[in-house]
Amino acid sequence: MSAIQELIKEIKNLKPVPAVVNQILEVVDNPDSSMAQIAEIIQYDPAVTASVLRTCNSVYFGLKTPAESIKDAVNMLGIDQILEIILMKSGAKALSGKQEGYGLHEGAMWKYSVSSAIIAKQVAQKIKLKNKNTIFTAALLKDIGKTVLDRFVKDSFEKISAQVVDKNMSFREAEKKVIGLDHAELGGMIAKMWKFSPKMVNIIRNHHLTDISKVKDKEIAVVYLADCICMMIGIGVGSDGLAYRFNDQAMEVLGMEPDDISIIIAEFAENMQKVEELLNVV
Amino acid sequence: MKVSDDQKHNIVTYSLGSCIGLVIYDPFAKVGGMLHYMLPDSSIDKEKAKKNPYMFADTSIPRLFKYAYSLGAKKQRIKIYVAGGAEILDQKGFFNIGKRNYMALKQMFFKNNVIIHKQNVGGNVNRTVRLEIATGDIFVKTSGSKEEKI
Repeated sequence: MSAIQELIKEIKNLKPVPAVVNQILEVVDNPDSSMAQIAEIIQYDPAVTASVLRTCNSVYFGLKTPAESIKDAVNMLGIDQILEIILMKSGAKALSGKQEGYGLHEGAMWKYSVSSAIIAKQVAQKIKLKNKNTIFTAALLKDIGKTVLDRFVKDSFEKISAQVVDKNMSFREAEKKVIGLDHAELGGMIAKMWKFSPKMVNIIRNHHLTDISKVKDKEIAVVYLADCICMMIGIGVGSDGLAYRFNDQAMEVLGMEPDDISIIIAEFAENMQKVEELLNVV
Repeated sequence: MKVSDDQKHNIVTYSLGSCIGLVIYDPFAKVGGMLHYMLPDSSIDKEKAKKNPYMFADTSIPRLFKYAYSLGAKKQRIKIYVAGGAEILDQKGFFNIGKRNYMALKQMFFKNNVIIHKQNVGGNVNRTVRLEIATGDIFVKTSGSKEEKI
């Protein structure tokens, strides 16, 4: 069996995301959907409801009276916060393990995913993009391909590394060359299998701007920039290092100057403590 | 930022990326300190710099030295090691925060007649740095390799 056939077999064995996530993703960034509609979807999933309430009532959120229903929770914390909790809970299972091939200890990939999602949302807000929940979700799940590719990266690490060092390739380009598939491409395949929207599949697949024409899509450019910022501040950087490509054009598309990036980093750093606490409660 | 004269202490800073890890050590006083700053210049947000001066090169570096002096370190004896400042491939000009982080430090050292003893900066690798207060030994772990004494 070729590596690609093996990979396809592996992604078929992945646990699917809960159905409620797909339903939520369908409505979150639709301007016609209401808060009540979203609360409705969630409350019919008892497992998700229970776990969301447990998180909302944790010390982290400091609610004066405990939320007893999803509607309570939405009223107290706002719909965006509740959505983020649900999305993070759904992603945590798939992303919290250690990635030996990429040199990430247990929890490092998860911290990276959540940080990317928060930074992507910060950028989306700064440039006033509408679909901030889609962007948050795409940034959260963009590296799902790494969790499957990890074993293959581990087996071929020396070959991949040699391409990076000797041929000046990016780590992603080297993955593609040595294994036949890279983690972004594989992530796109997984997202498709999970029946995510074509938009979400597109962002995940292109989060390293493999197809350079995609740079004009602001949602892709935001998720891409969030990834670059994480690398700069040393989050989620493993044995692949910072060997990915930086694209000036993406900054132009987003209207981001170097100082804007510094400001985003400073804002994120200020919230880092809160992020660490959030990682513990979700 | 951490500074110590406790001989049992190890100071570590993890995963620097484009940030700078600045280590100073006075072998006579056995006082050492480490700083992990993220950005070159506090002028982008004076408010944040007030609340968290350790985020920026210009507001954090003087504090590291002052704290070490307060524990008995002397400028003329201090050894300096710099790590980090890595960059993403093709990250050029002002977008290259790693290089700007390093340049901010170099400029400050130049003005104040401070010399870097050893360094491991730039490139596309991620670094973790550890300082042993008792010996002044410094160890660096680079992405994909084992920890090495420098």
